[in-house]
Amino acid sequence: MSGQNRNGGAEGERIKKRKALATDAAKCCKISDMFVSKGPDPLIEAEPMEVYNQTSAVLSCKLTDPPSTVKGHYWMRNGKVIESSKHNLPTLYTEHTLAKIDSHSGGLYECVFLSEPEVKTTIEVKTAPLVSAYKRSEHGNEKDKGVLVCVSYGYPLPTDWKWYKLEGEDKTAITNGTDRYEIKSTPNRTTLTIDNLDIAMDIGDYICDGTSEFGSTSNKVHLRVRSRLAALWPFLGIVAEVIILVSIIFIYEKTRKPDEINDDDDSGSAPLKSNANTDHKNKDVRQRNSN
Amino acid sequence: MSPAPASILRDTPPDGGWGWAVVFGAFISIGFSYAFPKALTVFFKDIQLIFGASYSQIAWISSIMLAAMYAGGPISSILVNRYGSRPVVIAGGVMCGIGMVTASFGNTITHLYICVGVVGGFGLSFNLQPSVTIIGKYFQVKRPLANGLAMAGSPVFLCTLAPINQFLFNQFGWRGSFFILGALLLNCCVAGSLMRPICPKPTGGQLTQTNGTPKRPTTDRSEAQVNGHNTQLEKGCLENFNKFLDLSLFKHRGFLIYIVGNAVMFFGFFAPVVFLAPYALSHGFDEYSSAFLLSIMGFVDMFARPLTGLMANTKWIRPRIQYFFSFAIIYNGLCHLLCPLASGYGGLAAYSVFFGIAFGMVCALLFETLMDLVGPQRFSSAVGLATIIECCPVLLGPPIGGALVDTFGDYKYLYLMCGAVMVFAGLFLFVMNIYNYRMLERERRQEEGQGDESEAEETKLSHA
Repeated sequence: MSGQNRNGGAEGERIKKRKALATDAAKCCKISDMFVSKGPDPLIEAEPMEVYNQTSAVLSCKLTDPPSTVKGHYWMRNGKVIESSKHNLPTLYTEHTLAKIDSHSGGLYECVFLSEPEVKTTIEVKTAPLVSAYKRSEHGNEKDKGVLVCVSYGYPLPTDWKWYKLEGEDKTAITNGTDRYEIKSTPNRTTLTIDNLDIAMDIGDYICDGTSEFGSTSNKVHLRVRSRLAALWPFLGIVAEVIILVSIIFIYEKTRKPDEINDDDDSGSAPLKSNANTDHKNKDVRQRNSN
Repeated sequence: MSPAPASILRDTPPDGGWGWAVVFGAFISIGFSYAFPKALTVFFKDIQLIFGASYSQIAWISSIMLAAMYAGGPISSILVNRYGSRPVVIAGGVMCGIGMVTASFGNTITHLYICVGVVGGFGLSFNLQPSVTIIGKYFQVKRPLANGLAMAGSPVFLCTLAPINQFLFNQFGWRGSFFILGALLLNCCVAGSLMRPICPKPTGGQLTQTNGTPKRPTTDRSEAQVNGHNTQLEKGCLENFNKFLDLSLFKHRGFLIYIVGNAVMFFGFFAPVVFLAPYALSHGFDEYSSAFLLSIMGFVDMFARPLTGLMANTKWIRPRIQYFFSFAIIYNGLCHLLCPLASGYGGLAAYSVFFGIAFGMVCALLFETLMDLVGPQRFSSAVGLATIIECCPVLLGPPIGGALVDTFGDYKYLYLMCGAVMVFAGLFLFVMNIYNYRMLERERRQEEGQGDESEAEETKLSHA
């Protein structure tokens, strides 16, 4: 409980006193200040040390023998400060409540006391990892590569990833390196790459399974394989439309060409000769003073 | 003498009728040309994953496409001068289609660079130049409006191509999408077929007499238009089409002013568009809100272009259209200079609206002013030379902007630089055009003096 062991009667008395008052935070500090010139190592009691498979928890930290006066304290999760937990009171006890523990609230929690130097300790909050498909439904082209991705959140992250192909009710395991499959996994992301996709064989549901100390969680990804010729029909449709439009425009031009050619140049301008091109289709024929 | 409608000469453009069909064709061509390289970026994420390449390697596809589109300018000018607009646009459409279809079978990045970047880019340049050229041949009085309407194709196509690309990608994957996009690009051939060739007829000795007022001979000069600029008509179609690239343009004062001013302007023109979304992201807004700013800009742009064309067509602005262009550029620059002051999403949205207006104004007037300076006959060569010279600043602008952002870690300096560049370019164009207008006025008076003399001789001869 207390720091160094010191021999001697006077020292022994002090140690006894310290033990008696150890639970009283305020008195504990004053006594430490008075008697200890080079204080004992500060100790934080964390309660609980580890949260395992609980729906909610209250994390608490109690500091004994702080190296200096404590200006405040706060909590951190996975290295990031939790803003709402900041307090500037010189208390040596702090609490953080986790009302609901899920994969988003799990992680490494640290309670930090602002003293010179700072003291902190870690509490692990462990949950079952959340495994989700990066995209619920993936597309791939025939004979091309198909990529299926699963990601996971939480603490601790899965250590082992497996992929299965769902056929009806059974699932067949997919091994890395066999057939056309390749599996690449990191703790928070796993990728299944299928080479040379086949419409008959590869369409369907795939299951990614992440195993951690909690057991395994899995999720489903659906793979659709497009036929190579899928894009051909719209292509032919548009080409046909282009050919039709171009033909219409050229035919229109040819049929009107003998009459149009003069109209085009004269639309908007005055006709030069009064007796020329009387069959103007143009409304803009302007009469001029004939000379 | 102010030309009333009845006094428009025979050999000036029709200004209507089939011209509007041509505007529609140009709308489609220009839309594909400008919007397609930008809309392709939808596929980049997936292609990046499949080919295992870095983002900058993939982004090169768009850059090569844009570079080819601008660099192909002189080539398409030569072809237009030789063959007219229609065959070139149709050829361009076929090239784009073939490029995209072959790209869909590719397995390496280099394959994409060549098929999409080079072939596709050149195909698009064969669409862009002829489209703007033919508007000048079909329109005179209503030309700014026609230009504004045709240039509106760019934002409209961008807004439609982006969701179409997304849909195609979800349905067919990137290969199927490229395949189908190849077919879509063949619609440029439809646009090209609308571009019926038109030939300014030589008037050769026929005097037009309207309202009883004798006019001066028109063999090589069209009537002064509203803006007071004389355009030189070449004698006969064949002479037009047989010319290659009119390099004498480099002695043309107006043209030189134009390319110097525009080359400077383009350094700061596209970078703000490219960095609008990242700028919003850096302010802490989410991806969708940031992308929405671009949509706001595009939507406003869509309307700004035809409206600018309409404004530029009015009798107050048309004669001073170069000043209007300078004003649009300066306004653009001011928007950028004030952008760092915008705070909150509302401020950025307001900036997007004003930027959309400014962007649309400049784009609508871009080719109109060049046409105004050099005239429709030399325009096809002029636009080719202009685009290849503008190629450099267009491509270097965004990367330089990116370097600025990286060095200073703040987007503020990017906007200040772009704003300053554009204000400077606008002022340069403004001042130089004052000088140019004066010189043109002086030349016109000199010619008028000579014209009156020969007119007097002609009337003497006709009465004899």
